[in-house]
Formats: sequence, C-alpha cells, structure tokens
Amino acid sequence: MTALLARIQNDRNALGLLFLLPTAVLLLLFLTYPLGLGTWLGFTDTKIGRGGEWIGLENYAFLWGDEVTRLALFNTLFYTVVASIIKFGLGLWLALLLNKHLPFKAFLRAIVLLPFIVPTALSAIAFWWIYDSQFSIISWALQRMGLIDGYIDFLGQPWAARFSTIAANIWRGVPFVAITLLAGLQTIAPSYYEAASLDGASPLQQFRYVTLPLLTPIIAVVMTFSVLFTFTDFQLIYVLTRGGPLNATHLMATLSFQRAIPGGSLGEGAAIATAMVPFLLAAILVSYFGLQRRAWQQGAKDT
Amino acid sequence: MATSIATPEVTDTQGMNYLVSLPRRLVTVWLPLTVFLIVLLFPFYWMVITTFKPNEELLSREGNPFWVKNPTLDHIKKLLFDTAYPDWLWNTVLVSVTSTFLSIACSVLAAYAIERLRFRGSRYVGMSIFLAYLVPPSILFIPLATMVYKLNLFDTRLALILTYPTFLIPFCTWLLMGYFKSIPLELEECALIDGANRWQILVRIILPLAVPGLISAGIFAFTLSWNEFIYALTFISSSEVKTVPVGVVTELVEGDVYHWGSLMAGALFGSLPVAILYSFFVEYYVSGLTGAVKE
Repeated sequence: MTALLARIQNDRNALGLLFLLPTAVLLLLFLTYPLGLGTWLGFTDTKIGRGGEWIGLENYAFLWGDEVTRLALFNTLFYTVVASIIKFGLGLWLALLLNKHLPFKAFLRAIVLLPFIVPTALSAIAFWWIYDSQFSIISWALQRMGLIDGYIDFLGQPWAARFSTIAANIWRGVPFVAITLLAGLQTIAPSYYEAASLDGASPLQQFRYVTLPLLTPIIAVVMTFSVLFTFTDFQLIYVLTRGGPLNATHLMATLSFQRAIPGGSLGEGAAIATAMVPFLLAAILVSYFGLQRRAWQQGAKDT
Repeated sequence: MATSIATPEVTDTQGMNYLVSLPRRLVTVWLPLTVFLIVLLFPFYWMVITTFKPNEELLSREGNPFWVKNPTLDHIKKLLFDTAYPDWLWNTVLVSVTSTFLSIACSVLAAYAIERLRFRGSRYVGMSIFLAYLVPPSILFIPLATMVYKLNLFDTRLALILTYPTFLIPFCTWLLMGYFKSIPLELEECALIDGANRWQILVRIILPLAVPGLISAGIFAFTLSWNEFIYALTFISSSEVKTVPVGVVTELVEGDVYHWGSLMAGALFGSLPVAILYSFFVEYYVSGLTGAVKE
C-alpha cells in the first residue's frame, strides 16, 4: 500500500490524473454528457414524462417551417448585432473616459461595474417597473418636458419592446466591455502617445493609429464574450416580456425554454438549443483568430 | 493587492493631460462621464426609492416621483412576513457557498495538475477546460433537466449545487492556472529537494502564495452562482427551495396586480449581499475579470 502511494506521488502522470479526477467527474457527468444528450434529444420526439423515439431531422424540418422559430432567429440576430455594436461603442467610450487621469479612479471603476455584478433577473425587474405602461418614470419625464403626449407602451408594441429589451441588455453589458477594455488601455505606455504627439498627430489620429491597433487583440476577445453572452441571453427576456408581445422579443434561448419546459416538448426545445451551437462556434473561431494576432504582436513565432 | 497578474499599471498616468485646459476637460470628460454614471446607477436608485414609497405615491402621476414624501416599511414587512423570501435568501446563500467551495477545491487541484505537474496531455486538458468555459447554460438546461429528474434530484438544492460547478469550475481553473503560472518554479524545486511531496507543496507553498487568486476565484464564483437563473428556474418548483432571483420573478407577481414596492424590495435585498461583498473585494473581482479575458 505504502509502496503504491509512493509510486503515485512520484509519477506525475498518475498524480496528475488523481488531482484531475474530481473536476473530470463533475464536468464529464454534468457538462460533456448533457451536451451529447442534448444533441441526441434534438433528434427525438421526447416529451416530459415520456421517453422519445428517434425521428431523425423531423424536429429541424418542423422548426425550419415554423414562423415563430424563424422570428426568434431573426430576433436573436437583431438583438445580438444591435446590442453588441452599441455596447462596444459605449463601452470603449467609457473606458477611454475612465482612462483619463481622474480623482477617485478606483471608486468610479467600482461603481461602473455594479450593473454587471447584480443578478440580471433582479435588475430586469427594476427595468420592468421603469418600462411600466402606466407609471413609467421615463414617460413621466418625457411628458413633463413636453416631448410626448401619451405614455409610451415600452413592452407592449413589437418594435418598442425589441428596443427596450436591447436597451436593458446594453445597460448591463457596457460595464463589462468598459472595464475589460480599460485594463487593455492601461497596458499602453504613455510614451507612445508622447511620440505620436511630437510627430504632430491629433488626438483623433493618436486614437486611430496608436490606441486602436494596440487594443485590437483584447477587443476581439472581449467582444467575443459579449456576443456569446448576448446571443444566449435568457434572463432579461424571460423577466421583461417572456417573449411577447406576439413573440416579437423571443430569443432562441427563451423559445427553447418555452417549448421544452412549460410546453413539454423536450425534443423540440433541445433542437432549438442545438441550433444555437453553429453560431457560438463561429464566435469562438473569431476569438481564436483574435488571440492568434495578439500572440503574433507579442513576438510569438508565426505558426 | 493582486498585483501578481494584474495589469502592469503604468505609473506615469498623468501623461500629457496638463495640455488640456479645464473647461475643455469639463465638457469632454466630466459631462459624458456624469451621464454614464447617472444612467448606470438610476435603476438602483429607483429600486431603493420604490421600496420605501407608499402605494398612493407609487400609483400617482402627481408630485415629484423622484422623492418619497412619506417613507414606509410596509413593503419590506410584507416581503419578510407574507412571502417565503427569507427561505429564498437562505437557499441562495447555501447553494452559492457550497457550490463555490466545491468548485474552488476541484479547480485548485485541476489547475495545479495542469499548470505544474505537466502530465502527459495536460495541454489538451487545459484547452478543453477553456472550451468548457464557453458552453452556455442555455444550451445545457434541457438535457440537464432530464438528468436531474432521472437522478431523483428534481426540486432539491443538491441539483443546483451539483450543476453550478459546470460553469464555475472551468472559470476558476482557468483563472487559477494564470496565478499558479506566476509562482516561481524554483520555490517548488527547493521544497522537492527538501523532501516535501506534491501535496505538501500544494498546501504549504502554492496555496499561501495564491491567496489573491483564490479570493478572486471565490468572489467570482460566488456572484456567478448567486446570479444564476435558468437552472434554478428549471430544476426547482417548490417555493421553499427556490433561490432569490427565481423566487422574486415567479412568486411575487400575482396575476395582474403588481406589488411594485415588494418587488423592488425583493430585488434590492437580493442585490445587496453581492454588492456589499463585491465592494469589499473590488480589486480582486476586477483582476479576476480582466485576467480571465486576457489570459
């Protein structure tokens, strides 16, 4: 027994596997296996309380012709693209502002990140109240300023609801983009800017030719994460609209939940969830090439 | 604090700011910054104000809505005594703390094995852990729900404690690998020569040096599990086992009558614990966030 123990302690392969065991068990059981199971479920007609039969591509064929699914795909892409672009713009702007020499810098940074750390479901409830059709504070303020006549039905009209949910998503996502990009900005040495200004570069040119190129690699990673979070968003929509009005805000994730859990069609829900994977893979590949460029900029060899 | 992996802070932060005049600075920096801060903080202010507003003031369009004339504790009283809110808080604490400790324990071992033992194939294991980090819960919850049901874990806290590590472990392992990498290998070699075994090295040398990393990973894991929604919504159905986010969303809304005061109080008290914890460990949290993105 002691001989065995001693052998394990000196053999890094055996010891490595031993140390990895708890993680491997948990991840294989609750991550890898369900990933496979989900794909398999997508090819079956499983319902809650009833095992499914293999039905091949029938789920996907049905979903392809399903108006609601098509709308959900459109909504998801619209939501992701619009929210990500605005989050990037505002996040970069906020990062640049915070990177100026400011008093209480640490305090400001801490406050800015608050929307990101608070439970999304709970901040979404606050937005629900802010968007209330009768007592919305935004409508109240706009009416007082004389900009609108009646109260805005933020979550009751398809396009208004789309933009209201996007605005709430941006509110939550901007701090993440800003704080991570700020960390990237802080690695750029001021001497670059001094050199650029001695060469007569305007602030805009300094941004374009110094800041942006040096920041590109981290922008790639941050935006990939941002796109991943936005594309698979669930909480915000579930709390604010549950996909309504008229399915105008249903995302792939909320539709898959609605079909699978309250609707009971596990197979169909799993098919919708699986259909998200190609998009996620595309986002990850973008991140991978972003990282490659970063490695190259830091002087790694071309591979 | 946590400087080992934090960004190499540029000391000369003043830069060329002296070239910019004060009025210009007010318009280009302070004005937009103030707008940003007001927008980012307004929902929290609104939560607090609504919590203390009596119903007459909430449901009236007269007067100044930005202030409370007669603050009341009714909403909080209703929340604490007429709903299962205290249960939800306790469940959330229990599930978050347990899954955080479970995940940190697993991650420490895994990160040490991948980063320092360098066993055969450790690079591929590291890569696959990173990939696991990118798998979103919204594509896992359906198959996990069927598994939870088959394992007889449906409607139990254990279901959450066992499934939360699927997104906590990859993140924590990835973060800790970065920290372990920054600890000099020589320290470990000295200990090996002195006759320490790997377990002793991990407990007596690596872990004390990686305390900032452990705190980062712990804070992050705790907030992630506190904020988790979709698993708790899917795997739990009884009120007394729900977590705060799910309980507030599913149980405080009765039909068409919205008790905005209690809803906002529920949101406020569900947010405060993470916000307070975060305020104590901001630096660790930020270094975890930026470290994870930059690794």
